[in-house]
Amino acid sequence: MKTYTYKKSSALFKRAAQVIPCGIYGHMSPSPYVPAMNYPFYAARAKGAKFWDVDGNEYIDYMCAYGPMVLGYNHPGVDAAAQKQLKSCNCVTEPAPVMVELAEYLVDLIEIADWAFFAKNGGDVTSYAIMVARAATGRKKIVLVRGGYHGVAPWAQAPGHPGVIEEDHANIVYVDWNDIESFERAISENRGQIAGFMATPYHHPTFDDSAFPAEGYWQKIEALCNKEGIVLIIDDVRCGFRIDMAGSAKYFGFKPDLACYCKAIANGYPISALVGTEALKTYAAKVFHTGSYWFSAEPMAAALATLKELKRINAPALMNKKGKKLLDGLVDIARTHGYTLKVSGMPSMPYLRITDDESLMLHQDWCGEATRRGAFFTSHHNWFVSTAHTDADIKKTWNIADDAFKAVKKQYG
Amino acid sequence: MDREYIKAHLNLHAVFVNLEDLVLYDEEIAAIVKNWNVSLQFIVRNGPRAYVAIHDGRCTVGRGRYKNPSVVLYFFSPAHLNKMFDGKANPVILKGFTRLGFLLKDFPKLTKRLEYYLKPTPELLKNSAYLALNTRFTLTTAVFAIGELGKYDDACKNATSHMRDGVALMKVLPGGPAAHLEFSHGAVVARKGDAEKPMSAIFFKNIKVASEVLNQKLDSFTGVASGLIMPRGQIGMIESIDMMLDRVPAYLG
Repeated sequence: MKTYTYKKSSALFKRAAQVIPCGIYGHMSPSPYVPAMNYPFYAARAKGAKFWDVDGNEYIDYMCAYGPMVLGYNHPGVDAAAQKQLKSCNCVTEPAPVMVELAEYLVDLIEIADWAFFAKNGGDVTSYAIMVARAATGRKKIVLVRGGYHGVAPWAQAPGHPGVIEEDHANIVYVDWNDIESFERAISENRGQIAGFMATPYHHPTFDDSAFPAEGYWQKIEALCNKEGIVLIIDDVRCGFRIDMAGSAKYFGFKPDLACYCKAIANGYPISALVGTEALKTYAAKVFHTGSYWFSAEPMAAALATLKELKRINAPALMNKKGKKLLDGLVDIARTHGYTLKVSGMPSMPYLRITDDESLMLHQDWCGEATRRGAFFTSHHNWFVSTAHTDADIKKTWNIADDAFKAVKKQYG
Repeated sequence: MDREYIKAHLNLHAVFVNLEDLVLYDEEIAAIVKNWNVSLQFIVRNGPRAYVAIHDGRCTVGRGRYKNPSVVLYFFSPAHLNKMFDGKANPVILKGFTRLGFLLKDFPKLTKRLEYYLKPTPELLKNSAYLALNTRFTLTTAVFAIGELGKYDDACKNATSHMRDGVALMKVLPGGPAAHLEFSHGAVVARKGDAEKPMSAIFFKNIKVASEVLNQKLDSFTGVASGLIMPRGQIGMIESIDMMLDRVPAYLG
């Protein structure tokens, strides 16, 4: 099988490194791509479940822009709705009616939602959520699950990272995932001081297996929050609309007070949302939180079109079905080469790792070999499956994965 | 924990450890220490203890007590020790008055030479022999400093306590130098040299790249994407180590 080269990508990165800090920063930085030389760095175009890099190489994309692409790149229905709104108005002195339509739609769609607030990124609404929790309770502390990701605000980053100071974590308390006792301990050690508990619906850390909530975990957390007057915040930014259209909390059988959405909400158009219960609406109103582009109408129209389409086709079920088919095949192919491929998390956003090498070097090489054959796999992060991935894409992916296994078998024996 | 206390640990255990290689790789220093038979005990009140022993051209730097040292140097506080490292204070000699000449004249030849290698100038780095030793010593200092910060710096202690067990290797290709950190049950130990089956590894393409990264002239993100730095294995470990590495200048900068 032909393997790709990245001459133009490399040249562009060299230019970028001169004028942009670390060339490509943040979650799109190539630094977790291991080996980096097996990966492209710049996309030229995209359509459906595929993108093409600046060297003209084609990829079946299993990162989906790290989640936002859910219906396929350049989805005609979503793009048409966005274009239509753009022709009317976008970023204007006042919001457009579509903002109200979108809020009404989310309130109808998401089980716990009595109101909706819009911003741009997931981190905007996770930060807003903890402000609302603090405003509502008059308390300072926020409990987070160790290893969870809630954006890049200083409070959300791991202590010690450059630019993050000790005081940023002065009111953050960490507990372990699926560990009720550690939450109970946190409550007892900070009695009357905890404003909110924030976690993802299931644990999906980078660099590690995903973990579902243990039986009764969320129900116990919910009961403790209710008893102690703690605002329960679900960060559904990554899982949202890939597990359940009514919110991932519904799937796992609990009712948070606040829920954060972004990624899949608008198929790539920049918008995020916080939804909440009636009891917190007044406090949400009191917290001043805004941004220059948070009222732009085009992404709101795109979100409305995306959500309607996701609901129409029952996208979570569809993505999980496609994901299961893909993953079952990959696990079988790995087995034929003598490897064990472990899959964790929902099939619509699975985390994979070859367990035969604990250091993950073999897994990294396999992902890199697959990528330079046309299936964009990463080794550090959960993948994403979209509704646009076709059976033909999946079959092609299996062939690529098989050839990539042959390549690593040669290397590792 | 107190900054001076942590800095004292770094000075004794991350900087002084380079004396072991200095006597091996610097010919001038090797000739000087060839016939030395001396051991220095460093005692810091409310701080670390360490020793430097030089016998038959070999140097050993270690933690804690040295049995029957020839010289005992006492410091009233970690800040006192750190001032000595900055050339602004002298220790109290508790034992070894007969070695006063050695302490004032001979031993400083080693520490000054080490300082010369650890404080590069752009001009000096053009010299390949200097570059090689600067890189070796800087790599060792960085790895051993992480080992100390993992014990005493709050953010690094937190990172270490949650670190996956296994060895994290830092190596200059093709043949070294190398140093590694062994994480086990939330504790960390730094060692010089290669490691056979690391859980994670950071490979530097060559000495020049390693020098640029370790001397903060090249950011690691750009280095990785450019293929100059090659991380492998458990990237979570490498991310944490990178964070810890960024904290070293706060103490030794």
